[in-house]
Amino acid sequence: MFIDKSMTRDVLTVRPETGILAAQTLMAQNRIRHLPVVVEDDILVGIVTDRDIRSAMPASILSEAEKASEERRLAFMKVKDIMTANPVTVSPAQTLEDALLMMQNLKVGAFPVVDPEGKLKGIISMRDLTRAFVNVLGLQEPGALIGIVVENEQGQMKKIVDAITEQGVSFGSILVSRVWDEGKRAVFPYLLTSNISKVKNRLRELGFTLLDPMDWYLDQLPKR
Amino acid sequence: MRRTGLVYDERFKLHKTGPGHPEAPERLTVILHGLEAADLLPKLIPIPATAAEMRWVETVHSPEYIHRFEQACLLDLGELDSADNQICPQTYETALLAVGGILNAVDMLMEGKIDNAFCAVRPPGHHAERSEALGFCFFNNVAIAARYLQIRWKVGRVGIVDFDVHHGNGTQHIFEGDPNVFYYSIHEHPSFAYPGTGREFEKGSCSGLETTLNSTILPGQGDEEYRRKIMRDLIPAFDEFMPEVVLLSAGFDAHVADDMSDIKLSTEGFSWIMKRLFRMAVQYADGRLISVLEGGYSLDVLPELIRNHVQILLDL
Repeated sequence: MFIDKSMTRDVLTVRPETGILAAQTLMAQNRIRHLPVVVEDDILVGIVTDRDIRSAMPASILSEAEKASEERRLAFMKVKDIMTANPVTVSPAQTLEDALLMMQNLKVGAFPVVDPEGKLKGIISMRDLTRAFVNVLGLQEPGALIGIVVENEQGQMKKIVDAITEQGVSFGSILVSRVWDEGKRAVFPYLLTSNISKVKNRLRELGFTLLDPMDWYLDQLPKR
Repeated sequence: MRRTGLVYDERFKLHKTGPGHPEAPERLTVILHGLEAADLLPKLIPIPATAAEMRWVETVHSPEYIHRFEQACLLDLGELDSADNQICPQTYETALLAVGGILNAVDMLMEGKIDNAFCAVRPPGHHAERSEALGFCFFNNVAIAARYLQIRWKVGRVGIVDFDVHHGNGTQHIFEGDPNVFYYSIHEHPSFAYPGTGREFEKGSCSGLETTLNSTILPGQGDEEYRRKIMRDLIPAFDEFMPEVVLLSAGFDAHVADDMSDIKLSTEGFSWIMKRLFRMAVQYADGRLISVLEGGYSLDVLPELIRNHVQILLDL
């Protein structure tokens, strides 16, 4: 699950001397919001985003005359005037989880991916992460999801996996929700079979509590 | 009373899925007993099952897959593509017979010899993809019938309604780019049930023309929700599309007594759905409807459900 595998490699870039109107056009035409700024040999020096460009645009409350003069000024502005120099970057050897946590903490939507020399290798954005996690969740494979509430003790997962494997059923993925209830977590195996009723029955026989989506639904119904 | 054809052959039971598998030959045994007990068999026009010609199967499945399926049976490999799809040496021939029987029903329908038909076939078809067996399905029976209608009988618009509780991923994918075949499915929400496809935002990928529509039902829901969504989604869509022939992927596993799903459709609910679908077929397709068995695994309720289904076709 390395960034190297999921990043976008053919990155569109601009130079520090590129005009900001040209940068804006490039973003609009390609429907992207982040442009790494590079110099010779693809060495990364900054990043410019659509938000940077919008902040540079004249305020709509200005008069026509003021707007016209602002626009003339903009025509001469360069990316280097509004870019974030030395942006936060990631390395191809870091992991998707690293990127995910960084995005959550720094509230940033994309990171340029650079090698130890500072050369741009790619870019990783929320879009790439979404695709990678849809893949990890196995949502594209035919299967059925079940939910099991377990005590926070060692060996629970093994019992579940064994019980399911005994039935000759394969796993697409398993997710664990770490905090479900007092001292409990919830395990969500995604099983590659249509016949889950026998799996569910076996798990119940072994004493596991299955999450019943009906409980949630029945709670939502108006009480008679 | 209408002229309703019945496709059924004892040989459909030759496809053995092993002990404990829900898609068992007994399903057909109890269905036939149910029809017999209600004295419906004499009223139905028997349609023979003959092996389908390869060129029709190839309108949907790749030659490589067909060959692989045949080989797996000849070599008695026990399963094809996943443990769900249990096979025995007779499975391949049985699957060809099922398709052939349905195509014979199509011929009789288009020749005006019958008004509609019910095809009590095994193995089921709607999960089968172009090159993959899935969810107990090997040849996509309804998809091949739709292609046959288009090519052999030059039907302009075919409407497929799939009310099996599992989304018919195979059928949807096969007709995704075809604006002349409308695929509608109502099924348990993919986040809670196999095969995890058939979300309401999936509308088909054909330039401007949306001929795919999915209605999802949450676990625990039943009659009311089916009624609401069929009226809200299917009826207006088919009003626009105006199918010339209607094919049904008739699965009966949404029943409350069927433990393959958490959906609670009642026996009366099934009858309501069938009557409404029939009315829709009469309105746009001159009543030309062929119903093909998909899932439905409760040996207790299958006889009554099929009996009611067939009575509606006969207009009794």
